[in-house]
Amino acid sequence: MMRWLAALLAFLALAGAAYAQPVNTGHLTAELVPQAQGIAPGQTIYVALRQQMLPGWHTYWRNPGDSGQPTEIKWALPDGWRAGDIVWPTPVRIPVGPLVNYGYEGQVLLPVAITAPADARVGQTATLSADAAFLVCREECVPEDAKLNLSLPITSGPAPADPRWGALIGKTLAEAPKPAGLTAAFEKRGPDVVLAVAGAPLKGAADVGAYFYPFDSTVIDHGKPQVAERGPDGLTLTVTPGYAFQGGAAPKAIAGVLALDGKAYELTAAPGPPPAGTSGLGPPAAKGSPGAGAGGPSLGLISAAAFAFVGGLILNLMPCVFPVLAMKAASLAAHGGGEERRARTHGLAFGAGVLATFLILAAVLIGLKAAGAAIGWGFQLQSPPVVAVLALLMLAVALDLSGVFEVGTSLQGVGSGLAARQGLAGDVFTGALAVVVAAPCTAPFMGAAIGWALTQPPAAALAVFVALAIGFALPFVAVTFWPGLLARLPRPGPWMDVFRKVLAFPMYGAAAWLVWVLTLQAGAPALARILAAAIVLALAAWLAGLAQKRAAAGARPLATGFAAGLLAAAALVAVVWPAYGQAQAAPGVETAHATAEPYSPERLAALRAQGKPVFVDYTAAWCVSCQVNDRVVLSTRPVVDAIHKYDVAYLTADWTRRDPAIAADLARFGRAGVPLYLVYGADGGKPAILPAILTQGMVIKALQAASKAR
Amino acid sequence: MRKLPLHRRTLLAAALAVGFAAPAFAAPQINTPAPAFRQLDQDGKPRSLADFRGKTVVLEWTSAACPYSHKHYDSGNMQRLQAKARKQGVVWLTIITDAPGTSGYMDAAQVRAWMKKEHSHATAVLLDSDARVARAYEAKTTPHMFIIDKAGRLVYMGGIDDRPFTDPASLKGAKNYVALALADLKAGRPIAEPVTRPYGCSVKYGP
Repeated sequence: MMRWLAALLAFLALAGAAYAQPVNTGHLTAELVPQAQGIAPGQTIYVALRQQMLPGWHTYWRNPGDSGQPTEIKWALPDGWRAGDIVWPTPVRIPVGPLVNYGYEGQVLLPVAITAPADARVGQTATLSADAAFLVCREECVPEDAKLNLSLPITSGPAPADPRWGALIGKTLAEAPKPAGLTAAFEKRGPDVVLAVAGAPLKGAADVGAYFYPFDSTVIDHGKPQVAERGPDGLTLTVTPGYAFQGGAAPKAIAGVLALDGKAYELTAAPGPPPAGTSGLGPPAAKGSPGAGAGGPSLGLISAAAFAFVGGLILNLMPCVFPVLAMKAASLAAHGGGEERRARTHGLAFGAGVLATFLILAAVLIGLKAAGAAIGWGFQLQSPPVVAVLALLMLAVALDLSGVFEVGTSLQGVGSGLAARQGLAGDVFTGALAVVVAAPCTAPFMGAAIGWALTQPPAAALAVFVALAIGFALPFVAVTFWPGLLARLPRPGPWMDVFRKVLAFPMYGAAAWLVWVLTLQAGAPALARILAAAIVLALAAWLAGLAQKRAAAGARPLATGFAAGLLAAAALVAVVWPAYGQAQAAPGVETAHATAEPYSPERLAALRAQGKPVFVDYTAAWCVSCQVNDRVVLSTRPVVDAIHKYDVAYLTADWTRRDPAIAADLARFGRAGVPLYLVYGADGGKPAILPAILTQGMVIKALQAASKAR
Repeated sequence: MRKLPLHRRTLLAAALAVGFAAPAFAAPQINTPAPAFRQLDQDGKPRSLADFRGKTVVLEWTSAACPYSHKHYDSGNMQRLQAKARKQGVVWLTIITDAPGTSGYMDAAQVRAWMKKEHSHATAVLLDSDARVARAYEAKTTPHMFIIDKAGRLVYMGGIDDRPFTDPASLKGAKNYVALALADLKAGRPIAEPVTRPYGCSVKYGP
């Protein structure tokens, strides 16, 4: 009879499956849910604490991050029953202002292994009770708790999966981080901690969004971005150390979870040098490491596009662009009077060249950025071969302007017989050339706009680049479309030849400047190489000019033309291959300030801790605006005097070569490139950001304000 | 290219338009000079760290809307600690960073009323809703505690105790790191645990 009753009870319990009552604690609904419909004596099944949060609210992982508290479960089980620890699913990062928490939003299942004793009575129903305590937060935090019960039938053999929760608990367990035999080591490197991880699961894995969640909340600074670099057998994360590294101390081990696009592994890193094969392949080909925390300043699409447009307009006046465009405009004047239609066609062709080139650059930039590269605008100029090729290009343009040889349609109408088609190709080429040479001159407005664009989805980013291209092309296209403007341009005449030869010199200057940049990047051997290549190119240009003159005279100077082409190709190859070495010394953009020190986040922190005002000059040798500002403003007597007078520390952050720390700083201030000038006041507040083009008065005023803020 | 053909006023306008100030973090370091600050207190009086040279200064981040701060105030634990410290000549600055619009934000009058209600023994309460002081110290939680010695060095940073819970029962037997650090300072001993884990609600930084 008793047996029959027990069987009936068991059946009823099974019919209702395991039975639990959800509890609404105010901001979430909590309940205990089982993996199986019952449990056999001696068997272990998982029972999960399920939390269903209100939208916008979250609970915490085992390490809550900068604030918060992990969920706790206190079990009250029948005699002989055992409960394990919570199996924590991989959390998400929840930014709160500049801070970052680790936790769960929406629904989370926290599975716990429950083991029935071997002598559990089949047919009975066990009641598992738990006091669950959790902090549930949106912006504000509310501690809530729930007394939860689960009735679990004791079955003779393993019971079938719970129809509602079985599969989900199984999935949660399958996806939870697990040890995977990874070898990991960490090492303090300057202001950073480098965490390197190697192991079979990482070999050739798609390291998308690599992020390390430490178990201990004091080992890393959760709010700072983690910069990833791939290697053949693993990866390296550069993270900002937390409190555990304060005062010269270091933890004995760093344990946590490495998450890589949907997969997660537990690991424990020992102090020491990185295992082999954990670096050298650059950033992961992925979404990069999303720098949660301090979000960059927000700029709407409309204002970003407007800034980009104005930035494009201003770009026309930059020293590396103006000669190219001025010559082009002057050549247009030659089309004046009755040839407006053709002028328009030329204008549009130029505009198309500009647009296409910007879009190509944007696509490359967005692509690299998507691959997680810590790069920004002007990135092309961080590569020595590109700088060398540009130097040769500038030289070629200069030689053309000097009249050594001619490209495309002649500017003086010598080649007026040439097909219009060729002229249009020349226009497109001019547009492309103008964009390529403009890259180092980040105009005001443009910096913020491009910085914004690079944080956006590709469509919005492209829109900003299109606005930039339109702004850049507009003055020239407008000239071609406005007959009135065209008429106002000076009439063509012999003066044009003089003008053209004068304009050759800024281009020689640009070439010389790029050679200087190259020397800083790749050292003295590169100087010899580029100068030799320049001489060969000059010879090629002269031969080309000779061939053109003979051709004009009716001859067919095939050999001369061929030699010219061959020499030019040789010059080009010589500067691209083989690879450049690195400069011996630090690249060091030289500044005239005796007091200038190289920038490091650590140095900045130390100076600010002393209550000193600090000027940080984010610069690069290849950045023309930076060099102009340095020569015309920052290195001048009055500014240097003011630096001494107000006792301001001057830090130079040199981005001539790639530097993830500087790239991260620029990103934090919403910039994609240099220049960026920050003035930190003595009071330790936010820094003032100076515009991309400086004046002496402006800088002195900012220095004064910074020292007064004391 | 000595002078760029752009009007200076235009440039200044551009600077204003582009010059968003984003937080710049540089973590404070233990046993180095404490970050300087200057902020108004509940009476509109400017207070700066330099004013207190020669005295030990305690910084306490709090929020009237945070259950962790409530644990320490409702139980009188924080006030007792404040009173004891003040008696020893320690300067105690309570700092409220909650940005306008968050539930813990208070204006000066509200802060004065709050001090009265809580029987605060703080030297002053700093109204840090622009987060100037919080950013300088990278304050993360309420409570988050810092101690600056007479020479202006940061000698303690971290939690108030070792019980990261909201339950008032957790105060019993808690190891109060601030009390211990102040005792060490008074006795001229090195502080046994100068850096601990801060716990609590997140500091409510504004946008």
